Amino acid sequence: MNYTFPKKHLWFGLSSLLILVSLVFGLQSCYPGDDITAADTDIVATYFDKEADFSTKLTFAIPDKVFRLDDEGNPIEDPGANDQLALNRIKSNLIEAGFTEITDPDTTNPSTTPDVLVIAFANQSTWVSGGCYSSWYSWYYPYYGWCYPVYYTYDIGTLLIAMVDPNESRNALWVAALNGILEDTNAGIADRLTDGIDQAFTQSPYLYK
Amino acid sequence: MNIIKLKFWQMFAVFALVLLMFGTGYSQKEQWYGAFTYSVSIPTGDTKSLVEEISWRGIGLDYRYMIDRTYSIGLFFGWNVLYERSTRTTQTENGAVTGTSDRTLNAFPIMANIFYYFGERKSIRPYVGLNAGGYVMNQRFEIGVFAWEDDSWEWGIAPEAGVVIPVEKDFGIILNGKYNYALTGEDVFGTTINHTYWQINAGFVWEP
Repeated sequence: MNYTFPKKHLWFGLSSLLILVSLVFGLQSCYPGDDITAADTDIVATYFDKEADFSTKLTFAIPDKVFRLDDEGNPIEDPGANDQLALNRIKSNLIEAGFTEITDPDTTNPSTTPDVLVIAFANQSTWVSGGCYSSWYSWYYPYYGWCYPVYYTYDIGTLLIAMVDPNESRNALWVAALNGILEDTNAGIADRLTDGIDQAFTQSPYLYK
Repeated sequence: MNIIKLKFWQMFAVFALVLLMFGTGYSQKEQWYGAFTYSVSIPTGDTKSLVEEISWRGIGLDYRYMIDRTYSIGLFFGWNVLYERSTRTTQTENGAVTGTSDRTLNAFPIMANIFYYFGERKSIRPYVGLNAGGYVMNQRFEIGVFAWEDDSWEWGIAPEAGVVIPVEKDFGIILNGKYNYALTGEDVFGTTINHTYWQINAGFVWEP
């Protein structure tokens, strides 16, 4: 039996060590990365209905308030300091995307019935679930039911922008979620809110005419 | 494939390599050789959609058996960690998400291989060949306080070319490049993808 010593044993030892280290660390996997700051936790998530034909949605109406929902999903009166800023920014983005606003919708008159309703609301609790979260809206259309996707946790104060079809009771056509931002009182929140709304439209090119 | 099974695969691979190593120690001289390499990874294609940056974290371990003067068969075990912190938008199945995200791919190639060597023994020997087997892929996409993770075994191949440079009687240097191509796979959101990345490796061989 030929056996080269000691260099072979040196490499044998090093290899064993390497494998042992790989075993220890490999089974854990490696996740580099430093801690993140509060601003780093800002998320803009958008979802759209794959069946929706946005090219036929030309007009919109939007309630002049940000609805806040309690644990049951029902509206409560608790306006926030940046609500109007958010609504104005949503409107300007919709108009830039080619939508026309109908300011005085009337369901009895087809010419003043909007193609889509755009609703802004903020949740007052943290929701963690999958599937579809049911909600309703009663400003234009009493107890109009619809739902939006819940793929991850919506923090308290998440701004949700939902685009729904007033002619169909179904899932929202489009939803944007700015996670937790309305609860934040840090300086610069207005800029983060504006940037977040802009980003929601930027990453949804299918909305543009 | 669930995580427990994956861990089994990893443990099995390491166990097999340790056995192989013991076998190597008592095998006939100069039929076997081993290589330990440092590995740099360059993501391409679908992998680049997850991580764009070059990875400087990687190692590889080779055991090759010379079946004659020009051919070897063997096993390769590696570990590449591709990581990037990014603020770019990620497309999901029916939407998109933007924010500061940590994207990590731990790839553990476990492959059998065959190589053809040019030149004579104890001289500088370029070689070409193919690795075939698979990868334990651990993908993690973290954004804000949320995380998506996927562990899977993916079949794959990796064509390779390199050179072995003898330095001493039973010690040398190895340089090689390989293109890793996972034949199966999906991303953390469930979309079908094929992970691909280049690997540039440099290291040592013993009993070259």
